Amino acid sequence: MDLSVAIGSTTLSNPVGVASGTFGYGSEYEDLIDFSAIGALYTKAVTLAPRPGNDMPRIVETPSGILNSIGLANVGVERFLSEKMPYCARLPCAIIVNVAGASIDEYGMVVDRLEGSDAISGYEINISCPNVKHGGMAFGTDPATVTDLTANLRKRTKRPLIVKLTPNVTDIALIARAAQDGGADAVSCINTLVGMVIDVSAKRPVLPLRTGGLSGPAIRPIGVAATFAVSRAVAIPVIGVGGIASGNDALEYLLAGASAIQIGTANFVDPSTAAQVLAGIRAFAEREKMTCIKDFHQFIPR
Amino acid sequence: MKHFSTTTLSNAAVSDSFFELTFAWNGDDSAANVPRPGQFCTLRVSPFSAPLLRRPFAFSAFDAGRGIASIIYKRRGPATGLLSAKTKGDPLDVIGPLGTGFHQMPRYPFGKVLCIAGGTGFGPMLFCATETIAAGGIAQVVLGCRTKSHVPKIALLDTLRPVITTDDATFGLGGTPLDYLAKLTEDEYTGVTVLACGPTPLCRGCHDWSQARGLACFVSLEQVMACGVGACMGCAIKVAATGGQAYARACTEGPVFESKRILWT
Repeated sequence: MDLSVAIGSTTLSNPVGVASGTFGYGSEYEDLIDFSAIGALYTKAVTLAPRPGNDMPRIVETPSGILNSIGLANVGVERFLSEKMPYCARLPCAIIVNVAGASIDEYGMVVDRLEGSDAISGYEINISCPNVKHGGMAFGTDPATVTDLTANLRKRTKRPLIVKLTPNVTDIALIARAAQDGGADAVSCINTLVGMVIDVSAKRPVLPLRTGGLSGPAIRPIGVAATFAVSRAVAIPVIGVGGIASGNDALEYLLAGASAIQIGTANFVDPSTAAQVLAGIRAFAEREKMTCIKDFHQFIPR
Repeated sequence: MKHFSTTTLSNAAVSDSFFELTFAWNGDDSAANVPRPGQFCTLRVSPFSAPLLRRPFAFSAFDAGRGIASIIYKRRGPATGLLSAKTKGDPLDVIGPLGTGFHQMPRYPFGKVLCIAGGTGFGPMLFCATETIAAGGIAQVVLGCRTKSHVPKIALLDTLRPVITTDDATFGLGGTPLDYLAKLTEDEYTGVTVLACGPTPLCRGCHDWSQARGLACFVSLEQVMACGVGACMGCAIKVAATGGQAYARACTEGPVFESKRILWT
């Protein structure tokens, strides 16, 4: 069984990645996991300047999920390159840097700066963060902007460009096509859903920005449905994300049309989730006598 | 830090509010990596998706000889409710030790300490006092409880003989540990390092009291956590930084901070 996945000019050794924002810059999990079981590490979002992030609280647990409002807290591209990238470069997995910005220019400047680092395998373009006032999700809900941004970045790099889609739209397939039109090599599907939790005794939302992004097992059926729709709307690979905590969960995404997957919130619950998911995918594929990832896509008709 | 499976050795109520749970330490047992006061572990309390996140618990003791770690916790919601139902022999999923402890603070070992605890903060404060005394220092524990029925009954209290305060004056001194501090004379507090763990107003009060007297103060702060290992940036604490303010992670740079680093709000 060949578990490798081609994304643009890069080949991931296996389809299991760890999602942006849930694995820091890798080193945080150094003592806890075997990075050779991971196909790709999607870094915490990197912006041009450092960002302190939002006020507290930033996390609230919800039924089978969490609502977060971190606010793209990160060290900025310069410190990412000098302090974080040297560690990432030593890891055996592909390093996909998640890039965010408040304007098309900012995304472009971050990518330009990252082009100088040889150890980066590709970029995940974050147009779907619900927790910042400017940029983030505002980019990911308008098809013309998605095409413009992707095309602008396409001119700056030959490395894989993966556009991370927001589910907070009426038709996610439309946004995926817009990314493909701009020259994206793949789409990640999905980022968090906008949610709100209200503290009844205080009579106000728990999170300072009122809403946050919902993730975890609660959103898995939404991610699977989005992956199903998007994989039928575009010719580029779809990377399924949302509530995956077991091999079986990942198989749902692969059967729905995903070519790779990412583990997000489950990393917080059990850091060895990625290794367990990979073992689950491998065992299923061998039992079913599959030869490659594409074999997963033959069962559910368009 | 290490992620390991182990078994519950005991889990019993120590008052009508607090539980003490002990488990076999199957983590790294090299002297440099065993649990220290102020550090914590995260436990996965359910194999299902609700409650979802691991929960952080500060160590209240570590018996290196027998390889037994202890935590003290309050039953306050579904997760700690499930934890309180665990009995001897039940499996536990542990990541630890995590975070920066008191031993990583400047001027450690402190010599003479006042350990000020509120609520479940008494676990790490007892651990701190025990370690201080073992190192030849002097420790006075002050334990604030809401009411008499919350006052823990554990053997360690017989040896540490803490000052106990209750908000409603049903046991020990009436008031909070801050009321006790306010009455100390200069002779009593000279040369003392103040350590505190508990609700933010208590930690802040200890900071203010120490600052006014020129004493060093170290606090262990609580914050909601998701990952517990420094990856998610969820448990931020506002601290002073060159040119203004910054966020530090309670799980990594903390939970123990020198109190003057904190931007108290």
